[in-house]
Amino acid sequence: MKLSEDLIEVSVIGGYLGAGKTTLVNHILREASERVAVMVNDFGEINIDETLIDSSNENTISLTNGCICCSLVDGFAAALESVLSLLPRPTRLVIEASGVADPSAIAAHGHSPGLALDAVVVVVDSVRLIEQIADPLIGQTVASQIRAADVIVINKIDLCDTLASVNVELSELNPNALLVYANKAKADLDLLFGREILRTASAAGHMGKFESRTHESAQPILRENLETLIENLPSNIQRVKGIVRLAEAPRIPMVFQLVGRSWELRALADRGKSPEGNRLVVIGPKGSIPIGWDNFLS
Amino acid sequence: MSDAKVTIFTGKKIITMNPAVPVAQAIAVQGDRILGVGTVEDLAQWGDYELDEQFEDYVLMPGFVEAHSHVMAGAVWEFPYVGFYDRPDPLGHTWSGCQTIAAVVDRLAECERELKDPNQTLVAWGLDPIFLDGERLVAKHLDQISATRPIFVFHASGHLATVNSAMMDRSSIDRYTPTPGVARDTDGEPNGELQEPAAMSLAQDGLSAIGVAMMSSNAKWNYAREARNCGVTTIADLGTTRLTMEGQLEAWHEATSHDDYPARVVVAVGHSDSNLNKKNSNPIVSLAVRLRDEEETAKLRFGIVKLVLDGSIQGFTARISWPHYVNPPPGHPGNGLWLIPPEQLADIVSGYHEAGLTVHCHCNGDEATQVFIDAVDLALQRHPRWDHRHTVQHSQMTTTAQYKKMASLGINANIFSNHIFHWGDQHAAVTIGEERAARMDACATAEREGVVFSVHSDAPITPMSQLHTAWSAVNRLTASGRVLGPEERISVAKALEACTLGAAHQLKLDHDIGSLEAGKLADFAVLEKDPFEVSPKELKNIAVWGTVVGGTPHVASSK
Repeated sequence: MKLSEDLIEVSVIGGYLGAGKTTLVNHILREASERVAVMVNDFGEINIDETLIDSSNENTISLTNGCICCSLVDGFAAALESVLSLLPRPTRLVIEASGVADPSAIAAHGHSPGLALDAVVVVVDSVRLIEQIADPLIGQTVASQIRAADVIVINKIDLCDTLASVNVELSELNPNALLVYANKAKADLDLLFGREILRTASAAGHMGKFESRTHESAQPILRENLETLIENLPSNIQRVKGIVRLAEAPRIPMVFQLVGRSWELRALADRGKSPEGNRLVVIGPKGSIPIGWDNFLS
Repeated sequence: MSDAKVTIFTGKKIITMNPAVPVAQAIAVQGDRILGVGTVEDLAQWGDYELDEQFEDYVLMPGFVEAHSHVMAGAVWEFPYVGFYDRPDPLGHTWSGCQTIAAVVDRLAECERELKDPNQTLVAWGLDPIFLDGERLVAKHLDQISATRPIFVFHASGHLATVNSAMMDRSSIDRYTPTPGVARDTDGEPNGELQEPAAMSLAQDGLSAIGVAMMSSNAKWNYAREARNCGVTTIADLGTTRLTMEGQLEAWHEATSHDDYPARVVVAVGHSDSNLNKKNSNPIVSLAVRLRDEEETAKLRFGIVKLVLDGSIQGFTARISWPHYVNPPPGHPGNGLWLIPPEQLADIVSGYHEAGLTVHCHCNGDEATQVFIDAVDLALQRHPRWDHRHTVQHSQMTTTAQYKKMASLGINANIFSNHIFHWGDQHAAVTIGEERAARMDACATAEREGVVFSVHSDAPITPMSQLHTAWSAVNRLTASGRVLGPEERISVAKALEACTLGAAHQLKLDHDIGSLEAGKLADFAVLEKDPFEVSPKELKNIAVWGTVVGGTPHVASSK
């Protein structure tokens, strides 16, 4: 779902060198169904079919599907400024972190005015993960990235014959993250981005694996009711997100994000950019969302 | 020999740092170069001369070479200083240290009264809360200065800023601000402290004002004035990504081409991850080569690429080998941060190495040093190349075995000796423990193992002064007055060599600077006392008259 017309949702893509971050960015650009701006370290790694390039200059490439690539060559602040000045505005900003970066430091910028952080997505190489975690030089870097993740994309699973140990390792490092399995980083973008699943897209896109339901209401809600709703969600629900107004501070739009097993409620930096009322979308495996999942809110 | 005018300067003593002719009484200069050293009678053999006796009562040395500092050292003086220690500015005024919160507030109130535009943000720098006893400086203290003018106080660490309520109002920072790093009081209201870049950049005209100052012409001039005031004639701005920004290269040319610009500057190009492109060539390589081959002038030099591999020891972000940190803060992951993936370093170094550039790599921790040594080792196997002078920068925890290996590979070191004074007590007690603190910044080991080395200030991290960095390497006295690791002390002669020829060598400028001998550039430090005659403990207190750069005297601003 779109949180609001004027807001740019931010997804940060982290992960160690070679995990498949750039492959995921390429996948996002190919499959984009919205106007996505990506910030990347290196244009040379972005694999764009020449026929899809609308125009390009030194620091940006515009694609015919409306997406834009921005280079981080002049630094993060300059790149962010150029994304915020794009017209029409992108609906989503995907930031590729460097291979050694702590993605949460970049995600902190996702709460700046005009932006709303969606999730920190960390890509791991399932074939090399166990060895990387044990490596005295890079083990801590890889582990810190995994701990910072809301979503972990477990990549290269068709090449991995130790997936069970990978799962154990990941659940020890970060028991709360949403795990998404992929080959060639072709992760499900509805899960990654927490998008409402339209019936047609669902049938075509994921053979009906996931579904979503939406809650809309006008009156500010009680925090305790929201907490009750979370406690009563089926355990296989993957995401819940939206903007709500709490009875204790009805003028402040609050962004709600549940990813995997952790959730967060944080004010929106740009208070003017959200419609009144509450809107939440829940995403889970097909058949997992009970009718009346949102009864606690009314 | 040309027929240009010859000037013979006399001095009380001329220390040449040339072991073949170590001391002289006079030095002849033609144009910007040294015609010879010796006695006035010796030098008369070159024909007519003008005798300049203005330094008759002074000691002349080769101008000091500061091979690791930043133009930021000039930029910070666009703003008032509120640090703990007294600090002289480039124009010669010494700002007294602000040793209490009240002193910080008084200083800022005074500066606030001088600002004419009521909307202009008051930006200040240098605050270091660890030295201020009692409560922490927060917005309510700054609110005593002004309820309407935004105030932004940048901390010495570079990681934090403290702002007043007017700044929070202007920037819409309140209890609901979602950005992490906005520190709060017990009621959940923001207290004015903004931690790390995402939170700091919420404050309008704060960080951005410092960024603008760094690009200014005035920063470039103040950087050189700061050098002149402490006898430094060549400064390296070690690592910038701004050379590709519009007008910056031209601005460096414009400043350094001026006869009054009192220093030579080596601008090192900063490696940036954003430019690494495996499919094509790394554009930083071609930039650095082009600058070296096409843009060099007498006072503006290139040829060096700076890499940053790890963080800092006092920030617990340096990569150090087992047994790691002694007493890290709660939640610390155990070791520091890589800023470049270690397995990528050899490829990155090889690219610069093959292009004939010199790589200076920031390595605070010994694990980082090892990764850099291994990268150079591999680059050399791939592309054998003699006399590359790749340099370990900071080199704070480099071990004996590493120095031995560096000597065999031809790697230089630039050692952050000032750390012993500024943070030595903390290193012994909190970061790396007594034994490793006693052998950190190991100048004596570098000397013993035959590594060519220098010492540096990393200004503005510590104040620029090669007499102070030399003093620190010679005495190893901490701020509390203890001698930390007496076995790593070096002689005054070796320390002065490190600050002149040692630094010139790693900048690949030792054919031109670093000693006073025929053919080299006429760059001198003009000192009031002989560093070999004063007590070693007094080295840092020797007064500096100023410098001579390319034969032109530049008097220090305090004179």
